[in-house]
Amino acid sequence: MRGQGTSAALALLLWAGTTACAREHPQVAKTPPSPHRTRIVFKHQPLWGDEAPFRALLRQFERTHPHLEVVTEHIPNAADVAHQYFLTALEGGASDFDVLVVDVVWVSEFARAGWIADISGAFPPETLREAYFVGPVEAVVVEGRTFAVPWFVDVGLLYFRTDLVPRAPRTYAELERFATQAMARQPGLAGYVWQGRQYEGLTCNVYEAFWGRGGETMEGGRIALKTPPMSQALAYLRGLLTSGVSPPSVTSAAEEEVRRTFQQGNAVFMRNWPYAWSELQAPGSPVRGRVGWAPLPTESGEAGAGTLGGWQLALNAHTPPERREDALRLIAHLASADANLLMALHYARNPPRRSVYAAPALHDGAPFIASLLPAIERARPRPVTPYYNLVADILQSEFSAAINGIRTPEAAMERAQRLVDHLMEEAP
Amino acid sequence: MRSVPTWLLTAALLTFFLGPFVWQVLTSLRPEAELTAPGLPRALTLEAYRSVLGGRPFLHVVLNSLVVATATTISCLAVGASAAFALAKLRFPGRSLLLGAALAVSMFPPIATVSPLYLALRAVGLRDTLGGLVVPYATFALPLTLWLLTSYFRQLPDELYRAARVDGCTPFQAFRRVLLPLVLPGLATTGILVFIFSWNEFLYALTFISSPGKRTIPVAISLFAGEHAEPFAEIAAASILATLPLVVLTVLFQRRIVSGLTAGAVKG
Amino acid sequence: MTGQDASRAERLQAAFLVAPAVLVLAAVALFPILAAVWLSLHRSILVFGEERFIGVENYAFLLRDTRFLTALGNTAYFTLVAVTVELLLAMPLALLMNRAFPGRGLLRASVLIPWAIPTVVAAKLWAWMYNPDFGLLNQLWPGRDVNWLGTPGLALHAAILVDVWKTTPFVALLLLAGLQGIPQDLYKAARVDGAGPWRVFWRITLPLLSPALLIALLFRTLDAFRVFDAIYVLTEGGPANTTETLSIYAYKTLMRSGNFGYGSTLSVVTFLCVVLLALGYLRLLGRSGVTR
Repeated sequence: MRGQGTSAALALLLWAGTTACAREHPQVAKTPPSPHRTRIVFKHQPLWGDEAPFRALLRQFERTHPHLEVVTEHIPNAADVAHQYFLTALEGGASDFDVLVVDVVWVSEFARAGWIADISGAFPPETLREAYFVGPVEAVVVEGRTFAVPWFVDVGLLYFRTDLVPRAPRTYAELERFATQAMARQPGLAGYVWQGRQYEGLTCNVYEAFWGRGGETMEGGRIALKTPPMSQALAYLRGLLTSGVSPPSVTSAAEEEVRRTFQQGNAVFMRNWPYAWSELQAPGSPVRGRVGWAPLPTESGEAGAGTLGGWQLALNAHTPPERREDALRLIAHLASADANLLMALHYARNPPRRSVYAAPALHDGAPFIASLLPAIERARPRPVTPYYNLVADILQSEFSAAINGIRTPEAAMERAQRLVDHLMEEAP
Repeated sequence: MRSVPTWLLTAALLTFFLGPFVWQVLTSLRPEAELTAPGLPRALTLEAYRSVLGGRPFLHVVLNSLVVATATTISCLAVGASAAFALAKLRFPGRSLLLGAALAVSMFPPIATVSPLYLALRAVGLRDTLGGLVVPYATFALPLTLWLLTSYFRQLPDELYRAARVDGCTPFQAFRRVLLPLVLPGLATTGILVFIFSWNEFLYALTFISSPGKRTIPVAISLFAGEHAEPFAEIAAASILATLPLVVLTVLFQRRIVSGLTAGAVKG
Repeated sequence: MTGQDASRAERLQAAFLVAPAVLVLAAVALFPILAAVWLSLHRSILVFGEERFIGVENYAFLLRDTRFLTALGNTAYFTLVAVTVELLLAMPLALLMNRAFPGRGLLRASVLIPWAIPTVVAAKLWAWMYNPDFGLLNQLWPGRDVNWLGTPGLALHAAILVDVWKTTPFVALLLLAGLQGIPQDLYKAARVDGAGPWRVFWRITLPLLSPALLIALLFRTLDAFRVFDAIYVLTEGGPANTTETLSIYAYKTLMRSGNFGYGSTLSVVTFLCVVLLALGYLRLLGRSGVTR
């Protein structure tokens, strides 16, 4: 009995061992490490899909820079987890990675904390302004200095069912009316699904409803929360829940929950990011061919602004001087127009550069991304401040309290404004 | 208890503890388009398993976890057993203090220890090594080990130890030759708990390891999620593959416990 | 050899035996804990780029912080309910696993599965089953559209259920080990005396099991009070902070906001709460003779 157990355990170990050796380090570039080559480590999230095109992009860089070896290391996609990793490592002075990805809302925090280097020399703000959209440039240029280069962008969109509504709604009233009509025809259908869980997605949804009512994110250098458009935005979102246009499940939903509900054919409208498109239109999707997208509605009927998301490339401030030039060259390579195009065609990442949207290859290979141009041009950033992560924590809890009816929108924003103002006063 | 209620109770408990896992297995076998369809799946596919095992170094990751968890368990039991024996059977000052202090260590919220530990591990060159995980794992699993093993040693009659001493054993020999074999079931129980603790740890593994080749299972599973999209079938499949070695090991260890060394030993 | 020499030799041997454990605990665990305590006396917000000693100011702020009080309440409630339910479930489970009946091996192995699944994955699995639109639970309960994780008041209980599912096996395993330490002769003697099953349970099993029971209770309480992963995956503390526990609050303060000073204060206070709880249990343990 005992002998059997031991040999079984050994067999298990051996099995794991042999298979492990067969596929060693597949993420490291194929070329063997050589003492003459400098290692540049790029820390980023897994891209999904076939890794080959991205590997080819890196090998192309190694061919033109034979003295360099590029190593990629993955961090989880979950923004909180990535933030925690970078915070611990960079505050600890880690120099074991050179190029890192930074969320659009983190750049000024990382810059202020001294974790990412000023790269204005290689990427002057003026040249960035010429090539890139306004939103991402606003995020990466902190007090006139460049701290990161946009890699890909994201924007909030309204998805709708072309078989259930006559056209995309332009105003909030239209959205509610179309939804109610479709729901009356088909019981069991949800009207409008969006992200209402207490997390960053909720903040994006609230800001979109706020901008759609003429709200301005900053007023006189102060984050404006206790304002009529903000109260109206929160009352509107709360109203969607109480009137039944949005199902109760919205208050615990993030992107994937609503995407699955919508994809199953159980909702008329959905607010989501562009990634949902290819899922909805995939073979076997119940709503394939019956989905459209539009800019978010507004009070007035003009096209609304979606929240700007996306990731940027930055240089670790602790990278030693002898590796800096090469790391900057890698950033330039990864952020080039060609690389943007490759990221769009193979990984559905939306280019942050205006020129790429004119490329015929994009229109042929990724027509949906090409069609996003107007929405991306209108995308607006959440409050741009080094203290965004401190602010976001306050916003998420107060927004959640308001849409759950625990506090009135006014009371919630009264609290939020007080807490945020206090925070900003304390800031040096 | 009659046998019908026993069976009912067994069935109810099995349903509660296994039900969600079975549902997870079913989910991992569903085609993507059917993931959210109500009821039982109409079609089954191994696509998710193929995707987990192909393309990604998942088995390598399982091996890393096995190495880390085994090393942690062995070092924890080695350090813990001798100390627990002393705590249970020898007289020396500061025994309760040591047990109390060990307990205090296990009471600190792990999140607050991440940053200082990161700095410490880097200072001694253990960052990004599997050893850099074993050291903190073994440390933070040590309190539970000490407490459990101390209680198991206490269950053994003092006469055993005294008889061994009279026979000319040093305290250490008495521990190794007489008492240790008798607490093997206790060691097995403790070992399982420590093993699973290190198998499942996420926070330290995420922060202290950066090379892809040294990743452990919880971190590898967290990498499956996309920027927004979440391939639930793959996550389910990976979690099942990650649980299987544990189930095998538990079954092996369970035999040790079942063999019921305790019952005979205590009488001895 | 005189008695005194013998006891001195024994003390020496004892010191030699406990030394590795003491060294490991002191070298690895003490440093980060002391570092956190030290930081809790500072105003240290990474992005503000300042770090200065402010004494107990963070602790004074904490007493006025309503969010802290809410989190403390949530944590206490979570711990109390989760640990109670776990013990009540683990007891019959352990008794069952200790009996000889066909299928016992299957029960023992399968009951451990929940505990073997990484918490993060277990929580994802439950979040999937809790989904109001396509989750298993609402399918099993047709006609009811329960929003498990999105309803204030309900969400915390949903998190408790996950914890119960995940950690009852841990308690059951400890109790099982305790049960196996009870000499069979006692049961035989009781049966000869004609005692019924309930009487045997109350008079023999429970008293002799109490050391194992208390250790299980102790470690589960200390763990539950620091609950993090499960709640983080299920709700991130929402809706409206109704499921925010001390560890979640500390995590957000430390790792999202980069407020190391106040985040450390929250951690130290969580620690102090757990110490108080542990002291309570230790008194009970001392009474039952586990620590002498």
